[in-house]
Amino acid sequence: MKMPVVTRRTALKAIGTAALLPWLSDDALAEFADIQARKAPPKLKVLTQAQYQAVDALVEAIIPRDERSPGASEARVADYIDLLLGEADEPMRSRWLAGLAALDAEAVTRYGAPLVKLSEEQMTALLTDVSRYETVKPRGDAGLETPRNEQPKPRVDTLWGEVRQPLGRQPLETFFADTKQATIHGYYTSEIGIHQDLRYKGNTLLAEFVGCGTEDGTDCPHCGRKAKA
Amino acid sequence: MPADPTLDLDLAAVLDESRRLAASITPASGPWDAIVVGSGAAGGMAAYQLAMAGVKVLVLEAGRMVDHRKEYRTMEWPYASPRRHRLPPDQRAIAAAEYNFLDRPYGNDPAFAKHKKLASYAGNTFTRNWVVDEKQHPTTGTPYSWVRARVLGGKTNFWGRVAIRYGPLQFQAASRDGFDVDWPFGYEELKPYYDKVDVLLGVSGTKEGLDQVPDGIYQRAHKLNCVEVHFRDAVTKLGRRYIPGRAGVTTDGVLGNKYRARCLGRGRCSRGCDIGATFHSPTALIFPARDSGNLTLRPYSVAAEVFLDPATGRAGGVRVIDANTHEVMDFKAKVVVLGAGCLDSTRILLNSKSARHPDGMGNSTGLLGCYLSEHHMGPRGSGFIPTRIGTEPTLDDGRPTGPYIPRFRNVTDKHPDFIRGYHFQGGSASYEFPGHAQDLPGFGKAFKSSVRKYYPAQFAIGGFGEVLPRKENRVALDAEVKDAWGIPVLRFTYRFSDNEIRMARDMADTADEMLRAAGAENIKIDPTMLPPGWSIHEIGTARMGDDPKASVTDRFCRLHDVPNVYMADAAPFVSGGTQNTTWSILAMCWRTMDHLKEDLRTQA
Repeated sequence: MKMPVVTRRTALKAIGTAALLPWLSDDALAEFADIQARKAPPKLKVLTQAQYQAVDALVEAIIPRDERSPGASEARVADYIDLLLGEADEPMRSRWLAGLAALDAEAVTRYGAPLVKLSEEQMTALLTDVSRYETVKPRGDAGLETPRNEQPKPRVDTLWGEVRQPLGRQPLETFFADTKQATIHGYYTSEIGIHQDLRYKGNTLLAEFVGCGTEDGTDCPHCGRKAKA
Repeated sequence: MPADPTLDLDLAAVLDESRRLAASITPASGPWDAIVVGSGAAGGMAAYQLAMAGVKVLVLEAGRMVDHRKEYRTMEWPYASPRRHRLPPDQRAIAAAEYNFLDRPYGNDPAFAKHKKLASYAGNTFTRNWVVDEKQHPTTGTPYSWVRARVLGGKTNFWGRVAIRYGPLQFQAASRDGFDVDWPFGYEELKPYYDKVDVLLGVSGTKEGLDQVPDGIYQRAHKLNCVEVHFRDAVTKLGRRYIPGRAGVTTDGVLGNKYRARCLGRGRCSRGCDIGATFHSPTALIFPARDSGNLTLRPYSVAAEVFLDPATGRAGGVRVIDANTHEVMDFKAKVVVLGAGCLDSTRILLNSKSARHPDGMGNSTGLLGCYLSEHHMGPRGSGFIPTRIGTEPTLDDGRPTGPYIPRFRNVTDKHPDFIRGYHFQGGSASYEFPGHAQDLPGFGKAFKSSVRKYYPAQFAIGGFGEVLPRKENRVALDAEVKDAWGIPVLRFTYRFSDNEIRMARDMADTADEMLRAAGAENIKIDPTMLPPGWSIHEIGTARMGDDPKASVTDRFCRLHDVPNVYMADAAPFVSGGTQNTTWSILAMCWRTMDHLKEDLRTQA
């Protein structure tokens, strides 16, 4: 079993000082916290400034600010993707960066402007095309002839993880799928995503589990179900 | 890369304690009446029963001590970690266990591709310090994701908390369908021990009067939420049951244990419960037993074999290799109790070779290692239940386990395609991470609001099915490959049979059927079976029975060949039904220890 590395705190302990120092005082960590709070400029590992801005525009288009909460840009999802890229293996990193370049080139071809300069309508039109696979079955999909429970759904590597996806994707579609998954993960694990957008209520003390109101014999305020007479 | 406080835990104190304990306890520190190998559910219960009865017991744990208050990061938010609780490449799986459940970029380094066969939920950022490193602990033969935890408490540090009983369907399974053999006794034999375990450790649930999963002595249950009530009504019409989960978690508190508090409904139980509401062998059993003054605990003690006392022909004790110093020591006692987990206990016996037992101790029949069984898993279904679509999220993920659909196949009817059966676990909650977002189409404001719209309405179930105990599914010692301490590793010969494959297909079909009956939207069925071993419910490799020619242990889990060696874990189990194994290990172990205590008393 791998032993944990010696930390600043254990080192200090070993020399007999500051055993009660607050945890988490590493400068680098504070820096990241700062980034998360959106006060600091990004500290990029892989992306260039221009690429970062393209990714930032793209993730914000996938999960934008709306009336309820800020979007992926404020949640610093582009920084998270930069981190993922920094720790991805080389083929994955190159493939993803090539995908980004291709989508940018597509924007230029269509609208004469890169991703960062697209209007909301242009970005929507572009992403609608590259996400069409999500709702339209590709031709030749085995699913047309095969019972639902026996449809092949191979696992496909994405930047964010291996996910089950149907076959027959175009390269831009694959890039979009990949980036969408990374955006979902980055956004919904952020403070903004969890607390402001989802209004997640857990991870707190709960004296007694509250189920459907009807289980306690009352009308349920959550689902509207009436108590049984 | 920024530092990551969620990875960089300060474990100096607990490591110091482990080394100090290991160094201070030598074979001369005895004498002991009994040696217990392992400190998980089996070893913990064995040690507790013996120590509380005044038996001097030495517990040998292969790993280190655990600091459950520091290591259990029960309430940590994902944004506490820059990687959002994923492991960095250099600390990823291989450092802890090469389980390929981690995601890009952390789980798929091509250099480790050969380990891809090993897949489990158990090697995440919360558990990686406890599960073994596959490089130190290889296996050979057919793929088997064998999850091992070498640390005080073993796998009870992260077990799934489902606490259900075997019932009559199980003990007399062979009489019902003609396959294989029954257990040597029935449910009524084990029922009093289940009752005692329920009271000692605490279990939450509801009485339902079902033969498939007999009732226990329950503390406050975890109610069904809105989505689940709707689903229950639908499956009731199909003649099936959907009941609150039964969790090995104390919701009302347990008496006389200062190490445990009652459940506070925080959720995230799989990271370890830092208030000890979840059953966890150290807080529930080992620490109280140690307080009796009768228990000696030696960490870093890798049990290599049970050695024979040539004068008596009985076991003399346990040969231990210190995990750090590699020093070899013989610890002696009157009886040896193996509770290292089904497969590791079996491995120790297979490795206990002598002139009298050339194929390993307890193996005169050649059956030691045969009849490896577990549960097959994988088929699952999900969808959105209309009554909660578009409503506000509720606090409903603070539960140790979701509801349960008891086995309904081959209970009163006879299925044409397979024998035995399966159950489902699963339910609904507004979870911290909205997993359903990954499958929702689109982007932009419409996508974002649809994530919120469906968030409270998510519903998913997954099946657990019986793997038939078959002699040809087995483990043996590998002739060449050894672990980091020079002990031969296990070679697996294990495959699912047609019965399991047909049953898995039926699981997917009935999941679909029930989701449709509930009027679920966007139903998704995944029929894929998970790899062998995924359930972490291995049983059967030192099968019990009354006939010494057809079994390894007697009905009291004592080796037929060497009567002062007892098995405390699931190795003697004849068949595993669909039930999660831990609660039965605890009840069986208590019963076995009652018998052992009687043996010690009458021999004294």
